[in-house]
Amino acid sequence: MNSQSGKVMVVGGGIAGLTAAWELARQNVSVELVEKSCFLGGHSIGYTCKATDTCQQCGACNVEKMLKNVVGEPLINVRLRTEVSSLDRSKGFKVSLKKSSDDMAEGLILKGFSRHNSPLHVKGKGVTDEAPEGALGIEEMGSEGEIDVDAVILATGFTPFDAELKGTYGYGKWENVITGLEFENIVRENAGIVRPSDGKRPEKVAFIQCVGSRDERLGNLWCSEVCCPYAMRMAGTIKHDNPDAEVSIFYIDVQNTGKEFPVYYEKIRENVRFVRTIPVDIYPIENDSLKLRHMAEDEGSPSFEEFDMVVLSVGIMPGADSKTVSETFDTPLTVDGFLDDSVDSGVFVAGTAAGPGTIAGSMAGAGKIAFDAVKYLGGAK
Amino acid sequence: MMAETTNTIDVTINKDVLVIGCGTQGLEAAEAVAAKGYKVVLVDDADLPAPAANAIEVMANTKVESLAGLAGDFRTCLANGSGRSERTFGAVVVAPRYGLAPLNEAYGLALNDKVVTMTQMEALLDDGAFKETLVQGEGKSIAFLSGFGQEGDPAATSRVLEAALTVQQAGNSRAYVYANNVKVGARGLERLFTQGRNEGVVCFKPLEKPAIEQGDTLKIVINDPVVREDVELEPDYIVVEEAVVAGPENLAFAEILRIDTDLDGFIPSNNVHRFPANSNREGIFVASQPADAANVALRVAELLDNGVRTVAKNAAVVDENKCTICLTCYRCCPHGAIFWENGIAAISPVACQGCGICASECPMDAIQIGDFTDEALTADIQEAVASVSGTPSIVAFCCQNSALEAGEAAKAFDAELPQGFRMVQVPCAGKVDVEFIMKAFVEGADGVMVAACHEGNCKAERGNTFAKWRVEEIQKRLETIGLSKDRLIFTTIASNMAEEFSMKVRMFAEQL
Ligand code: SF4
Ligand code: SF4
Ligand code: SF4
Ligand code: SF4
Repeated sequence: MNSQSGKVMVVGGGIAGLTAAWELARQNVSVELVEKSCFLGGHSIGYTCKATDTCQQCGACNVEKMLKNVVGEPLINVRLRTEVSSLDRSKGFKVSLKKSSDDMAEGLILKGFSRHNSPLHVKGKGVTDEAPEGALGIEEMGSEGEIDVDAVILATGFTPFDAELKGTYGYGKWENVITGLEFENIVRENAGIVRPSDGKRPEKVAFIQCVGSRDERLGNLWCSEVCCPYAMRMAGTIKHDNPDAEVSIFYIDVQNTGKEFPVYYEKIRENVRFVRTIPVDIYPIENDSLKLRHMAEDEGSPSFEEFDMVVLSVGIMPGADSKTVSETFDTPLTVDGFLDDSVDSGVFVAGTAAGPGTIAGSMAGAGKIAFDAVKYLGGAK
Repeated sequence: MMAETTNTIDVTINKDVLVIGCGTQGLEAAEAVAAKGYKVVLVDDADLPAPAANAIEVMANTKVESLAGLAGDFRTCLANGSGRSERTFGAVVVAPRYGLAPLNEAYGLALNDKVVTMTQMEALLDDGAFKETLVQGEGKSIAFLSGFGQEGDPAATSRVLEAALTVQQAGNSRAYVYANNVKVGARGLERLFTQGRNEGVVCFKPLEKPAIEQGDTLKIVINDPVVREDVELEPDYIVVEEAVVAGPENLAFAEILRIDTDLDGFIPSNNVHRFPANSNREGIFVASQPADAANVALRVAELLDNGVRTVAKNAAVVDENKCTICLTCYRCCPHGAIFWENGIAAISPVACQGCGICASECPMDAIQIGDFTDEALTADIQEAVASVSGTPSIVAFCCQNSALEAGEAAKAFDAELPQGFRMVQVPCAGKVDVEFIMKAFVEGADGVMVAACHEGNCKAERGNTFAKWRVEEIQKRLETIGLSKDRLIFTTIASNMAEEFSMKVRMFAEQL
């Protein structure tokens, strides 16, 4: 029963890492939670609520809840801005930590979403301006030295597809071509649907699905699983905010959002136009708006349509550092470049580090991994 | 609030676990729970395969006739051929099996030896004699229908893709897939889909459901959106998809266990607070997805621990002198935490989640909630109004699961909030009594806001609905006494939406 002791290192403080750490602590296992950035929460802490009149079950608020759990839990020791530099497996796991060197946020004041997570504000390198009270200098942050643990959970997450690789969409060139993740952050930060160029409410919005996923040419032979759900939910939010807005989703196949999907899908189709084709390219037109060219299946010749804003539903790619992680922890990569979670060696993989998944899926998976890790601790003794 | 230190007591609870249903998830859950060191009784109303772990007592052909009691002390009646037995359990795990319903009627087809279900085709493909016919002569052409009868899911798509590939690889046969949305949203499926196409599986994605003639021969006609013309096929077999349906026992379980289902009749309800394996009742868990078994075991271990639970003595307490046994609390408790003892309502400190809905609904004011007694909340309201330094003064009753979090974050990040704005923490919006709202006005608040979770996101399932009703009720009352009803609003918000919270408060202040 709950007599388990031992110590587990969880690498990565996104929803999977947070959940794994929390579940381990519930089982009386102490946790070293190592996060390379200055804040906990990963990508998903920046996602917005997509409720219309009703909750759309996106799970974003679960991240907030889990973060609060973790920060209040004495068995979890959080080390921010810290990375694992090497691992010695000759006797248990001897882990060397170093301050993460990634990003010194030169001249910036960073703000973490995590209210319960101290610090809230971090001063980047060279910031002399008056920062909010209690802000920490980035150089003061991070841990060094060695720790001994009995098992490791890798929850190093994903990297969103770099939309600039799809050059014809003009991402990075035209201000109102944004990624789905950016859109989430914009809505959350502005408490409303606005487009980047002028902060105005867009009247015509297009979503382009499968940007970077399901793409044989790029060698990305997987569906990212989250982008259909988030695009549909955001489309619903736009229509809720402004019933006159026109929203189109350009897609290949619509993936399910979760429970009660058939009912949900029928409803959303009443309000949102679904076009089965992936657009060819995007040009800027006056008023910072955009012209999109596509070959609608039922038309056969190219059509041009104008939009105030285009959202690219970028997919889940292997973490940018998955190669390094794989080498440091001697964990193989899958054909797709994610961490292989099928190897049972005391190094476990949770969440999107192992492949695409939703918040709900990452939470359930992390619970399972915590269960497996505790079992491993029991067997190792 | 939190003035007095909370008193706790140790409650001894039963440590045995009942697992209902022995499909894959049920078996796995039973084994995972047993691995945590608990005794498990696994029942199913059909025959059971023997599970590996020997800490599991198996009762085949057994029905759960009734379930009374609460987390830590569920009393059940199990019935089978050899009679009835009363058993007590600390926790219950439901692993309902799902049914498969062939969707041939959606295509106007009758099942026969040429029009078969997915399950039948899988069996045929396992059968050497049938497989032989795929290789001989010209082989066979087999058409799979997918997603027009009902929006499919990755599990269904995976079955189609596997079977189509098997047909295609058999030699001379050809597989055709007529798909609506190809549900590749699961590990490995896009790769499988691509492999199928590369090996010759033909996939049509018509925008409309295919038209099918079923006579001496079979004929499928679609309008192909890519070449924009009609494409006809006369396959040897048509394989119809199957819908996954909640079996009738799903609803029966839900009723016996008093747990909520979703729109389609599946347990549990569609609410993110139930992630990943909880139901609305403490001590009753659900295993329906592959990762659930482990999560169920974690939750069971957390609840039962070593058989002793330390709980707050005063989580929710009924005043025996006031209770008139009207049953209101029993009916409205979303967590099924209320029972009867010595002729009055009693609340299980193990099962109670402290939402306070019962306290607000009790017509006799007979229930007090731990840190949120009427006295404590009244003091909070007085203090909130008194501490206001600017106008308009706004008192916001904030659910601690959502609005309070958003409000605290708004403060921490210096989001703009009106000077005269104060929050009063409540355990759930369902705890906001009519009296509290009136009290805030009496104390001099210019505006009162009740901020709850979005519909479908309430941890107490319906606390937000109760709050909304009460607000509407009071708005009517305000009008009859000559006050503007706009001085009171009900709003919903998620815990992660600090900016939205600040915006809503500012808009309310402006309107005042
Ligand atoms: S954040 Fe998502 S899950 Fe939470 S209330 Fe909003 S829509 Fe529902
Ligand atoms: S979830 Fe939808 S948009 Fe994302 S990769 Fe899959 S099919 Fe494409
Ligand atoms: S609502 Fe109040 S009076 Fe009615 S049974 Fe419950 S405690 Fe007793
Ligand atoms: S406080 Fe909520 S959970 Fe507890 S008994 Fe009352 S209604 Fe049920």
